[in-house]
Amino acid sequence: MLATLDRRTLLKAALVFVIAAIGFVAVVTLGGGAEAASADPEVATTAATTAAGGNILLQNLFNGVVFGLLLALASVGLSLIYGTTGLSNFAHGEMVTFGAMITFFLATQQPVSLPLLPFSFTVGLPLIPAALIGISISAGFGWLQDKVIWSQLRRRRVAMVQQMIVSIGLSLALVNLIQWWIGGRPVRLTTSIDPRNQYGPISVGNVTLMSMAIAIVALLGVAYFLQRTRLGRATRAVSDNPALASASGIKVDSIIRIVWVMAAGLAALGGILLALYQQGIGFDDGTQLLLLMFAAVTLGGLGHPYGALVGSLIIGIVAEVSTVWLPPDLKFATALGILIVVLLFRPQGILGKSERVG
Amino acid sequence: MTDHPVILDADDLIAGYLPGINILNGCSMEVREGELIGIIGPNGAGKSTFLKALFGLVPVRDGSVTLAGEDITNLRADQLVKRGVGFVPQTNNVFPSLTIEENLEMGAYQAHKSFKKQMTKIGDLFPVLVERKNQRAGSLSGGERQMVAMARALMMDPQVLLLDEPSAGLSPVRQDETFVRTRDINRTGVTVIMVEQNARRCLQICDRGYVLDQGTSAYTATGQELLKDPKVIELYLGTLGA
Repeated sequence: MLATLDRRTLLKAALVFVIAAIGFVAVVTLGGGAEAASADPEVATTAATTAAGGNILLQNLFNGVVFGLLLALASVGLSLIYGTTGLSNFAHGEMVTFGAMITFFLATQQPVSLPLLPFSFTVGLPLIPAALIGISISAGFGWLQDKVIWSQLRRRRVAMVQQMIVSIGLSLALVNLIQWWIGGRPVRLTTSIDPRNQYGPISVGNVTLMSMAIAIVALLGVAYFLQRTRLGRATRAVSDNPALASASGIKVDSIIRIVWVMAAGLAALGGILLALYQQGIGFDDGTQLLLLMFAAVTLGGLGHPYGALVGSLIIGIVAEVSTVWLPPDLKFATALGILIVVLLFRPQGILGKSERVG
Repeated sequence: MTDHPVILDADDLIAGYLPGINILNGCSMEVREGELIGIIGPNGAGKSTFLKALFGLVPVRDGSVTLAGEDITNLRADQLVKRGVGFVPQTNNVFPSLTIEENLEMGAYQAHKSFKKQMTKIGDLFPVLVERKNQRAGSLSGGERQMVAMARALMMDPQVLLLDEPSAGLSPVRQDETFVRTRDINRTGVTVIMVEQNARRCLQICDRGYVLDQGTSAYTATGQELLKDPKVIELYLGTLGA
């Protein structure tokens, strides 16, 4: 994977990120210091020293990586769909919630009814089989969506903005459907508590460690697929130039169908791991994640599959680390602020390449 | 070549992009196996549209295209590739983020088992592409891209290769190279149909030329005949010998 990514580009990307991060920290520290200085210079210095202490910083950095990895699972699919079809899929957030909710339905010991059915079910599967079935059902839902809606719209040459508005409608429909089905309160996939262990300065539960490992394996799997399999290389070809891919004999519609299945499955996996990580998931958690996914995809380089990964990690890390100095309510705003700063320096995103014209 | 069997036959094609507006108003062409055909004509005559209609990229409203006697009108691109038709678009003719090797692999997508064998064959025609196979196609110059595009279209061993203005945007030296290469490809037994703005150079290497005017194939003759034809000289070639 690294061999084919241009090293110089990576280096430049890292440099931009470091400069952006330093700039950000400087602004925040100086800004905060200036504000406090007017009140009491001595107190301000002490506060800054303790707040910026190694423990909190490292812990938040770690949390950021965890969140970034989970975000990446969701946004890789969004990026692949954008790359191959040009669609900004606003209903992708609901795919995240949908996967988690199906898993909840299969795993919970409480009776849950299905929409419009008068009886309730208690499936009560163990978490792992429930999650696997949940991911499969979500992937099937991705297949169905493309078959029934998106491939039809593409065939009739419906323009992108119109398709995007369809996806906004679908997003609203799905989020309300999920709320009607599961209700307004967050649900938990498991009742057991994940005790936190201390590793040096970082405290983390085993479930979270396991989630990280699963996310990393899944993301490496995607990279392997795109780089080392014929189908994956064809997917990148379709991303690059669908008309030429078709003229080369690639069945573009089948590739897009595969991308939808993968994207939906990955989003579901992301939703399930997110539900475990934040110990519960509400009907609109995915919807709220959508903006961060778009930000991550744009930051990394629109349509670039590894861009989504890099962008997600940056968004996750910036959001979590910013809470060391700023109120937690502002963490996503800061992450989106970084997006603007990076785009000012690299309009094509971090891994996006500015191609020659003609 | 007149004794060779007809491989591609376009009969009275009527086609266009927008509903109700026809760009082609009855274009016909008969191509024999192994021929190198040049399509020339003024801007807006429908040269590129004709080529795209042959490859199913512009919907054909009336008329038919047959390949070795089999009807291929309006078939999907992947079906045409399978039947042995290759197409090189004028612009956007490589996958910029893929390496040269990956570009060529995409050309052999339907016959991936013969990819290695085809690579060696391509190495004979375009040695530079095999030397630089790990370079991203997006970093190549226009002329190099044209090479990748042609090589990609040759990976499936097509019977008929359609080239849309292969010399467009290239420097004179690169243009010459492209024409020589096209001739070389044709000599390996591939029937080539090329659309060209550079009518003189095109007719010099062509077995036969078709002159298109206002969406109809006005007339056809051998390349040498067309080069001397007073009407063609006046309309498309400017002065004799220039």
